[in-house]
Amino acid sequence: MDKFRMIFQFLQSNQESFMNGICGIMALASAQMYSAFDFNCPCLPGYNMAYSMGILLTPPLVLFLLGLVMNNNISMLAEEWKRPAGRRAKDPAVLRYMFCSMAQRALIAPVVWVAVTLLDGKCFLCAFCTAVPVATLGNGSLVPGLPATELARLLARVPCPEIYDGNWLLAREVAVRYLRCISQALGWSFVLLTTLLAFVVRSVRPCFTQAAFLKSKYWSHYIDIERKLFDETCTEHAKAFAKVCIQQFFEAMNHDLELGHTHGVLATATATPTTAEAAQSPSDRTEEEKEKLRGITDQGTMNKLLTSWHECKPPLRLGQEAPLMGNGWAGSEPRPPRKEVATYFSKV
Amino acid sequence: MDRFRMLFQHLQSSSESVMNGICLLLAAVTVKMYSSFDFNCPCLARYNALYGLGLLLTPPLALFLCGLLVNRQSVVMMEEWRRPAGHRKKDLGIIRYMCSSVLQRALAAPLVWILLALLDGKCFVCAFSNSVDPEKFLDFANMTPSQVQLFLAKVPCKEDEMVKDSPARKAVSRYLRCLSQAIGWSITLLLIVVAFLARCLRPCFDQTVFLQRRYWSNYVDLEQKLFDETCCEHARDFAHRCVLHFFSSMQSELRALGLRREPAGGIPESQEPPEPSEDLDGGSGKAHLRAISSREQVDHLLSTWYSSKPPLDLTASPRLWGPGLNHRAPVAAPGTRLCHQVDV
Repeated sequence: MDKFRMIFQFLQSNQESFMNGICGIMALASAQMYSAFDFNCPCLPGYNMAYSMGILLTPPLVLFLLGLVMNNNISMLAEEWKRPAGRRAKDPAVLRYMFCSMAQRALIAPVVWVAVTLLDGKCFLCAFCTAVPVATLGNGSLVPGLPATELARLLARVPCPEIYDGNWLLAREVAVRYLRCISQALGWSFVLLTTLLAFVVRSVRPCFTQAAFLKSKYWSHYIDIERKLFDETCTEHAKAFAKVCIQQFFEAMNHDLELGHTHGVLATATATPTTAEAAQSPSDRTEEEKEKLRGITDQGTMNKLLTSWHECKPPLRLGQEAPLMGNGWAGSEPRPPRKEVATYFSKV
Repeated sequence: MDRFRMLFQHLQSSSESVMNGICLLLAAVTVKMYSSFDFNCPCLARYNALYGLGLLLTPPLALFLCGLLVNRQSVVMMEEWRRPAGHRKKDLGIIRYMCSSVLQRALAAPLVWILLALLDGKCFVCAFSNSVDPEKFLDFANMTPSQVQLFLAKVPCKEDEMVKDSPARKAVSRYLRCLSQAIGWSITLLLIVVAFLARCLRPCFDQTVFLQRRYWSNYVDLEQKLFDETCCEHARDFAHRCVLHFFSSMQSELRALGLRREPAGGIPESQEPPEPSEDLDGGSGKAHLRAISSREQVDHLLSTWYSSKPPLDLTASPRLWGPGLNHRAPVAAPGTRLCHQVDV
């Protein structure tokens, strides 16, 4: 238990670098995916733009959704959002904080994909090859003589060197260099803009809502831990429940065997030691199991407990033993006097 | 187990070494980025300079912002700068120290990019090929000015038909590369000399002030980490108690409703399950909660931590720290020390 607590604390306190590591890995994965992808421009006037825009925009969307889905906390967010308020009011600031921190991490891979695509240049070249200014880059005098469709057909083949036949109009390398230069300029501008935005958001935040931020961080953390602890407690309970259930079943079987006279003395002879054992062991084994049951011992009650946990979470106020009946608030009762003295444990 | 504790303590005690590691990692990433970037000079008159200079300056700016982003201490510094003074007055010297340390580390990756670009030479050749004086090279004597400009614009592109295998192109390209590398090495030398002087001469000026500022900036960082860690512990125990309370209050409700049927030879009705408070009274559970056990108290604690940090004086009575922490019983003697229990 102590070991898990140490690891847990290490990860939590070092969460900054842990999350930075995750973001770095996702960025690398995205770049690797791009380099493994075989870009294949159709080189046809109507299809170039559609293909390129599809490659530029669809994988980022997929990566973003994947990033959200793979984050374990998304179900926690959904649960917290949709639960009935019950005795514990919902705090929209906490929900916003949880969503923002998940979205920020999920945005890393799409941004890297878009940046790498623009810096590489093939996509942009494929999309905008028909929009190259032939007048300034190539033989401008020949342009008026060409019908628009013929010009479009010629220029659409710029990304494909093996079928390009317009060198008399515009040198292919010139067009490729021009478009790649613009693409790379756009790519670096995009990278600069996103880093600037991230920096502003991160650095300007302490100037404003710092206290609110600390609260949201604490309570979103709390919700996560509480959910895990509830699952842990339920598992303990289920285990104890099952053990006692099986124990009782065996005891009942023994009891039946005792009552059944068909086996007579033999049954008594064989049953007595087991009954004696069963009589002795509850005192040590099943006692602690029954303690773990916390008084909830049948299916109906357990179902009621689980329903109640979802529909009406307890308020965030410890130290109250009053039942949930009546107006549900035990605030009128006087608090028992507290006698503890604060001790500060330093683990440094 | 011991390894984790040692690593944990190491990271906690030397945030400077962690930051140095991140700085080196970012520099390595910069080198990799530069080598995998496909340089593509447009070889057109007006675009060359824009592209070349843009590539020399934009990535360093982005890398500088990245360096500030991944450094945790920049956020800590901003928080320390913007917090209300409260019981602990602010020392601008510490903030200046933290700022300069953050900036120094963030400048490493951009400088690596700029030096690589200059020593490699492609950026410089692309940006300044049109600005070369044609008088220096004899091959341009029999070309018209516009032809010369066109030729010079194409110098960075070796494979272009107009300038392929031309000795004039090679001459201009060599000249510009030589200039670029000279500038690159000069900047490198200058930076190293400045860093060396700054490091060697610093002890001559205000060494004690420097030591104090370094200590307190490290302290601020550690304090923030420990506060987060303590909040984690607290949240865990809060949640534990909440869950146990929930289970026990379900029982009470059921008892009140008379829904608990006679158990079949199992638990006798009179046996009470152990009260949760008994479970946690001994030892770490309640102590971790430190008598903060409701939402309002936790919110109040967090607001007070932000708006009115306690003074850096551990021998003072806790009563003097303000109303936020008064949910404990009053401390008996005014000179009572807080217990420091160190886990070894």
